[in-house]
Amino acid sequence: MPQIFTASADTWLRAWVIGLAVAAVGAGLAGGGLANSSYLSRQAWPVDQPVPFSHKHHVGELGLDCRYCHTGVETSANAGFPPTTTCMTCHSQIWTGAAVLAPVRASLVTGEPLAWNRVAKIPDYVFFNHAIHVNRGVACEECHGRIDKMPLTWRAHAFKMRFCTDCHRDPAPHLRPPDQVTRMDWTSWDADPRNRGYGAARMRALHIQPAKLINCEICHR
Amino acid sequence: MHRRPSFPKDLASPSDPAIFEAAAAEFPAAFAGVGETGRRQLLQAMGASLALAGLTGCTSDEPDEQALPYVRQPEYRAADRPRHYATAVAGIGGYAQPVLGTTYAGRPTKLEGLPEHPASLGAADAFTQAALLGLYDPTRSQVPRRLGQPADWGAFDAMMVETARRLDARQGEGLRLLTGQQTSPTFARQISQIVERWPKARWHVLEPVNEDQRLAATALAFGRPLQVLPRLDLAEVVVSLDDDLLGPGPQQTRNARMWSQRRIAYQAGQGDHRLFVAEPTPSLTGVAADDRLAVAPGRIGAVGQALAARFGLAPAPATLSAREQAWVGAAAAALSQAQGRALVSVGALQPPAVQTLGLALAHRIGAVGTTLRLAEPVALAPPDGGASFGALVAAMAAGAVDTLLILDANPAYAAPADSGFAESLRRVRQTIHAGLHVDETAHLCAWHAPVEHDLETWSDARAVEGTVSLIQPLVRPFYAVRSRHAVLETLQGRPVASGRGLVAATWRERFGAAFESLWAGALRRGFVEDTAAPEIAAAAAAIPAPAPHAPSSGLELVFRPDPTIWDGRFASNAWLQELPKPLNKVTWDNILAVGPDLALAHGLESGDIARVAAGGRTIEAAVWITPGQSRRTLTAFLGYGRRLPDQVGDGHGYDAYEIRPQATPWALTDVVLSKVGGGPRLATTQPHQALDQPGIVRAVTPAQARAPKPPPADAVSFYPPVPKDGPQWGLSIDTDLCIGCNACVTACDAENNIAIVGKDLVAEGRQMHWLRVDHYVEGDPAAPREAFQPVPCMHCEDAPCEVGCPVGATVHGPDGLNLQVYNRCIGTRTCSSYCPYKVRRFNWFDYTGSDPPERRAQRNPNVTVRTRGVMEKCTYCIQRISDARIQAKLENRAIADGEIRTACQQTCPTQAIVFGDVSDPSSAVSRRKAQARDYSLLPEENTRPRTTYLARIRTNGEGG
Repeated sequence: MPQIFTASADTWLRAWVIGLAVAAVGAGLAGGGLANSSYLSRQAWPVDQPVPFSHKHHVGELGLDCRYCHTGVETSANAGFPPTTTCMTCHSQIWTGAAVLAPVRASLVTGEPLAWNRVAKIPDYVFFNHAIHVNRGVACEECHGRIDKMPLTWRAHAFKMRFCTDCHRDPAPHLRPPDQVTRMDWTSWDADPRNRGYGAARMRALHIQPAKLINCEICHR
Repeated sequence: MHRRPSFPKDLASPSDPAIFEAAAAEFPAAFAGVGETGRRQLLQAMGASLALAGLTGCTSDEPDEQALPYVRQPEYRAADRPRHYATAVAGIGGYAQPVLGTTYAGRPTKLEGLPEHPASLGAADAFTQAALLGLYDPTRSQVPRRLGQPADWGAFDAMMVETARRLDARQGEGLRLLTGQQTSPTFARQISQIVERWPKARWHVLEPVNEDQRLAATALAFGRPLQVLPRLDLAEVVVSLDDDLLGPGPQQTRNARMWSQRRIAYQAGQGDHRLFVAEPTPSLTGVAADDRLAVAPGRIGAVGQALAARFGLAPAPATLSAREQAWVGAAAAALSQAQGRALVSVGALQPPAVQTLGLALAHRIGAVGTTLRLAEPVALAPPDGGASFGALVAAMAAGAVDTLLILDANPAYAAPADSGFAESLRRVRQTIHAGLHVDETAHLCAWHAPVEHDLETWSDARAVEGTVSLIQPLVRPFYAVRSRHAVLETLQGRPVASGRGLVAATWRERFGAAFESLWAGALRRGFVEDTAAPEIAAAAAAIPAPAPHAPSSGLELVFRPDPTIWDGRFASNAWLQELPKPLNKVTWDNILAVGPDLALAHGLESGDIARVAAGGRTIEAAVWITPGQSRRTLTAFLGYGRRLPDQVGDGHGYDAYEIRPQATPWALTDVVLSKVGGGPRLATTQPHQALDQPGIVRAVTPAQARAPKPPPADAVSFYPPVPKDGPQWGLSIDTDLCIGCNACVTACDAENNIAIVGKDLVAEGRQMHWLRVDHYVEGDPAAPREAFQPVPCMHCEDAPCEVGCPVGATVHGPDGLNLQVYNRCIGTRTCSSYCPYKVRRFNWFDYTGSDPPERRAQRNPNVTVRTRGVMEKCTYCIQRISDARIQAKLENRAIADGEIRTACQQTCPTQAIVFGDVSDPSSAVSRRKAQARDYSLLPEENTRPRTTYLARIRTNGEGG
């Protein structure tokens, strides 16, 4: 009876087993890396918009307050996008003929809304409420980053569940005076020794209980 | 009490075929292929499931969408806060059902009863809740049609101008207008305008389920037709002769609301509350009755006469059975004890002679003016009264009709079988149909004009007690449709007018100089104050002739409107089609109700097809064996057998209009019943999710109900104690108040984005309703005791489902909510198999992904739309809890008692459901749960449910 296996069969078998193991680990690492990458989370990827609106110019250089355009932020779940007429309060006076603003003027004439591409978006099964966060003193910058330095807007943080729960587990370091929530640069405030313990004091005053804040129903319904 | 009377009382050996059958009925999907699948197929399926399981995780979490801001934002409005508008929908019979409509970013998403309205006090019935879906119905008519082909409004208007010129030449001779019953003051103004301009024009009405016989009866008794308005809140003893006071219909909300007021007072020990019902076929009123008598339709008159004889109003009838004698005796005794606080009511479907007898009796016991109010009829009366439709068809057949405009009526489907409408229609020169759908009548007419839904139109209508509601749009029309008033305006050859202008013109006349402020006030309030029909002090009722009593040798058949589809007008509404009918839980079909004895005699089983022949006409219908049906009586339900290609309601059930005669529209005698054979499976949920064991539905005596609650037994639990911090949510459902009307189920459909699955999947036991209303039957099938029990999630403190979930997708919240986290769920369905109450629903398929944009627009934006492969269940309307919690925090206050109301609670016409904080002993729900009647389902499971029930109160303590 002839030999079934050749002399090299053992070597081939070992090579295959090792090769498969390496491939599996590699695929795992690559998949994990992709899942954590900013390619999927879109963190720091500028988003194309119909009008190349610059927060850097309007907030950083001109000093407009966030709430001038995002009017719903203190009272409702969504901060809201400004209606075309808000843009036109200024741009009916300045840059009236600018080519980049043509879609805004067209919107006012035709009544068709501007179609902005969402930057800070969350899945449909997550219910985020701006009003309660802003009223508790979670500054805009906490989630949206230094918007005053973004010529085109991008996502400052990967909006994964962990980003939310980190803060819900330990809100104290993220609480700031509600009357200053739209402030962008907090370095001097954070450095001021008088503000040490502010978050903890606010938590006591407002009966904020992290044990409740991490419950599923806070965000998922 | 058992859901299936045939369920074996003692559980015999597990091999007992009856048990297998029962299990197959409860879990149809699980037993569908048992015995047919081989070992190999099973292993293949398991292998494939395992290999493909990972793919279910491959869904995109990211909503890929754009943000569309306003161009001009309305002032003081954030787009995502709800806006509320007080308006109404013109429901059954044209009567206004007042609503408070919720809109998000301009999209109506929910209707609630209008709290201030005197006829509803914040409640709404199932039809009104489902009106919302009618707005978003993608099969609504969207463009005008000429000879079945899409046309444009320009051509329609040109035709109307031409028609008007032709009519002008001969004073409107040959113009006929056919509508459904109307209550709208603006419609009345327009009709009088038309008749003024064209004196020979004539208006006709076709309302398949009408009150003509009641108007005829009041005309006999009081000399003129009158509206009869029972005041059930004042009636301690109610005797109903085939009057479904609590059943579906335009009066349901008002009657149920008042009945529950009286019932709640009775529960607290104030006065008596007894209900006697004699009826041929079971109804919701019959289920609520303390003493129900099943009696042949032809004998209602005899029973009424016997009752009248006890008060000396009529000679005693010759023959009464012992059971009838006993019922009459008990009812008469109760009535004479409670004179002035008693009510006798005869159904509007009974012959006028029987109703007159009832009115005389009501007058004799002092009901007229107290528990029975009389008023001018609210519905507009056509010139020919009850003979209106017959007069039209006669004129058409005689060739006297030149132009026929049909508005909100469907004579090609709903006309009596012997009227000959379709043939006569061919002799009409110009036929125009205006309505929401391209229906059977639209197919026969030369022109079709699509009209606006009530939630996008301007109009007005009156509620059953007369209060006028202004109907204002919640949203601009989606399609190129017109208001009904605009169509009537173009009929007169006038240019298209705005619906708002036409309604305002009516009220400018009435309000006079103060128009602006009164109009604005009425729009804000939703109704015009002090417009209820004034009460009329009636003269003594004429003593009636003894009721005619023709003994029928053959079977008798009665017609009833369908409990969810009514006369067919709601056939395109999927929420109402999938809503289980209260007494048999059949969905998507109508049935022929047959009593158990009669079914046995004919060898019929539920679901078999039977042939019904009467007066030379036959229909074939699916039989349902109905306990409590009078012995030799059949009940046919109207509204099905529609011929609506490409629409939701097409082809389901049988068409009862095919044997309905014009002369006796509500009853047939000498009916012949024969078995045809087995039929296709009926999709009934009656056996599904059964909790068949003692103690599920309970009844106590009045004395037991008022006794103090015994201290709870200290149940030992293996679970660690649940930390309780902050409000603890709980629900109490009073089965003594529940009438099984299904309003809660429909409200839940709208509030929680419940998917509709269709007839086949309901038959498999895969319906998605988070809240089901169980129907229990017990005792002698000829005279059963029946009960209803709404079953939402119990939100157990020690919830078995939470232990079962391998991925922690169902967990406990600090406020006692049993949470379901859709994005964690991987669809093992372990939780559902662990749930002893069977309240969890699984998304077997993607029910929502292929929905057209119109349907998506209806959804509640605060509730996740569930995807395939996840489990879902009642959340106690967690979105409402979250909203209240956040608002309370923003205002730095605690959540007030009653601030959060679940959707089912808010719409319930009898206030049977109360939600609130059970840790606060002064909250409404805690006070309810402190009653001796409080009990939980399956207490032996020791799940400590937060949803508990109050037992029914029965004088003998039976029926539980």
